[in-house]
Amino acid sequence: MSGLRDDLRLLRHGRDWRGRSRVPRSAQRWEQPDNGDDFPTAWARTAAAVALRSALQQAMLKPVIWSQTRPVVHGREYLDSIRGPAVFVANHSSHLDTPLILGALPTRITRKLAVGAAADYFFDSRTVAAATTLLFNAFPVERRARRGRSLAAELVDSGWSLLLYPEGSRTVDGWLTGFKLGAAQLCSMKGIPAVPIALRGTFAAMPRGRRWPQPGRPRVSVRIGRPLRIEADETVPEFRIRLVRAVATLWAEDDLGWYGALRAAADDSLALPTGSHSALPTTASGQPAQDDDVASWRRIWEATRPPADDGPRQVWTD
Amino acid sequence: MGRPGFVLDVDERTPPLLMHEGEGFRLERLPLGSRVIYPPESLPGIVDLESAIRHALLHPHGSDPLPQLLRRGMRLTIVFDDLSLPLPQMRTPDIRQRVIEQVLELAAAAGVDDVELIAANSLHRRMTPAELKRAVGERVFRAFHPDHLRNHDAEDPDDLAHLGTTPHGEDVEINRRAAESDLIVYVNITLTAMNGGSKSVAVGLASYASLRHHHNVHTLRHSRSFNDPPHSAMHQSYDRMADVIGGQVPVFTIETTLNNEPFPTALRFLTRREWEWNLTDQASYLAVKRSNDLATGKLRRRIWQATEAPYGITGVHAGAPTQVHPHTLAAVHHQQLTEVQGQADVAIFGLPYICPYNVNSIMNPILVMSLGLGYFFNLYRGKPIVRQGGVAIFYHPMPHEFHPVHHPSYIDFYELLAETTDPVMLETKYEKQFATDPWYTHLYRTSYAYHGVHPFYMWYWGAHAMQHLADVIFVGGNRSTTARLGFRAASSLADALELARDTVGANPEISYLHAPPMVLADVR
Repeated sequence: MSGLRDDLRLLRHGRDWRGRSRVPRSAQRWEQPDNGDDFPTAWARTAAAVALRSALQQAMLKPVIWSQTRPVVHGREYLDSIRGPAVFVANHSSHLDTPLILGALPTRITRKLAVGAAADYFFDSRTVAAATTLLFNAFPVERRARRGRSLAAELVDSGWSLLLYPEGSRTVDGWLTGFKLGAAQLCSMKGIPAVPIALRGTFAAMPRGRRWPQPGRPRVSVRIGRPLRIEADETVPEFRIRLVRAVATLWAEDDLGWYGALRAAADDSLALPTGSHSALPTTASGQPAQDDDVASWRRIWEATRPPADDGPRQVWTD
Repeated sequence: MGRPGFVLDVDERTPPLLMHEGEGFRLERLPLGSRVIYPPESLPGIVDLESAIRHALLHPHGSDPLPQLLRRGMRLTIVFDDLSLPLPQMRTPDIRQRVIEQVLELAAAAGVDDVELIAANSLHRRMTPAELKRAVGERVFRAFHPDHLRNHDAEDPDDLAHLGTTPHGEDVEINRRAAESDLIVYVNITLTAMNGGSKSVAVGLASYASLRHHHNVHTLRHSRSFNDPPHSAMHQSYDRMADVIGGQVPVFTIETTLNNEPFPTALRFLTRREWEWNLTDQASYLAVKRSNDLATGKLRRRIWQATEAPYGITGVHAGAPTQVHPHTLAAVHHQQLTEVQGQADVAIFGLPYICPYNVNSIMNPILVMSLGLGYFFNLYRGKPIVRQGGVAIFYHPMPHEFHPVHHPSYIDFYELLAETTDPVMLETKYEKQFATDPWYTHLYRTSYAYHGVHPFYMWYWGAHAMQHLADVIFVGGNRSTTARLGFRAASSLADALELARDTVGANPEISYLHAPPMVLADVR
């Protein structure tokens, strides 16, 4: 007869803090289909919830994140033209990404911004779902596209902007991976602009598995690009590629500088991710990383390289 | 619609898996690469069961509708499965009650006065009045008990009729009242593929003289498995006997099949796949396990025995037994069959608290053996999940406990095992002595005891497994009782695998049959 501690230890084995176990590989094809009891999120878009969230974000979330990291934000001026719903698309490698973007965007936008969050991750536990919904105005996004219709289109119809991570999940190595079609499709369907955002340094600051940023206020950058609209003769897959290219260009700015990144994009020398393949647009050396099969340590090595310091340029060098 | 059964390959993501061990359970970490055979998820039960029963009675397979078989002045005998089915006992109203009530309504409408209800308990203990009432319901019980609702008595010479012999020379002797009826209506519950069909009347109403032809070591060693009737010598014998019976008295059978919901909601975690346990399931596991471990043995047994299964009914088929049973088997396979590729070196089974012979009773060591090496080992079609010469590891504490009222002959049989555990030796030397012992017969007829020969049958039940396996190990088993039965005890799975090492090597292939709920491994 075992003791309570032994029982607990066995019960907790292999489960995360929410009590969830990973699905054994051989059981993945038999994963439970949706039972239809989606977590309600409409309450989080009421005026009271918006006011409370705004206060929490400004008075608590941003100060905490800004105290634990050194964020640098570029391109906020491109948002002046945004006057209605838009889809903000960003690369995703850390739980820091959302608070950073929310802190970087103007309040007039964040007050009407909903964040797409993985239904199977953030909405499995009601406690986590409630907290995520209140703090981030999150709504569930089905990553496997099996669980039914997303709220995204309805939210846009109601005038909400969306923050989506078209990669579908945090990357495991910090590199960009391919974008899913959803965000481009939504922009096409609703005729709204997409705003590319590239985050650098968040993977190094708080990768998968960490619950708090690395000590030492790691440097992170949030680069916001010009809003993009689907052209009349452009297909959704083509628009998706343009979005990937825009994010990759912003990403490369840290290594190549603004103009260098633009030139690399114009020369088509940015290595873009395809499918689930990761690709870093450029290396710190300025050379495009053309090889898809670089060793994983090299991916992580590059992805954890701190972003360039934006401090005063050294005029006199040795 | 429930998901099909499947075979899990244990990887580093797999959480500890649930293992039954008698009146308890535990989580166990299986070695990486082990395979776990999961049953299909429970199918939805029939919503409008009353209509389904009526439809089955009015549109039978290979028979006229029941109303056309009923007439004024006839002798009608309604026979029903005894308390060995289903397991655990199902939540009331029992399906037997629902079927019998509809049969009786038709009989009343046809003006049938001579109706007798008989529990097909064969050599099992008699059902108590309370157990009978639970199975057939209040209305039927009040209307027929005690004069016309009773247990079958396999030792009443006045109430047995010898109907002849099969071409193989097997005696067919069944309940006289049933044999001399104008119609037998058999109400069945099929929990596993071995139930129902020819077995119902040929076994449920038989005497020892008849049963000994198929309940013997030779037949059971050639029943591979007895859950696969086409390959079961035992079922072939049943079929021959059923032909003899069917030639003399018409039988209208109603067979029902169950889904895979053996545990109530509070124990839902017992039927869910472990990596899908939510916080409620985990809390339930912890609360139930801690309470169960802390409870006294008596209280624990009382609680488990009081558990009622919320079984749903997946099928109701009526008509001629030979025509009905294929439909029943198909429904059972739909609910329980899981395809498995190849055999393992080591098979693991977690044995639950209940078997067909300890309902409201105690599972003594002989019954543990019968449940493990008999029922669980034989939950296969094609080949056993473990190879010839492999090792079976069972989880059960196997306490040295016997129910003195229900299992008196088991207590004496247990002493015989000190002399030999060889089924053939026991059969040739002692079976007849126990089967004809007047005291055991007296207890069977007048008390609530299993027949004197019953422990022998339980031992034969495992004869095929004993011949097939090189070693049998009980994790957590009482050392002296396990040794008496000829097996070995280990304190943990690691120890058991260490014991098995001499037989199957250091890196054996392992298959764990994750049951209950019921699963029938279709081994290719």
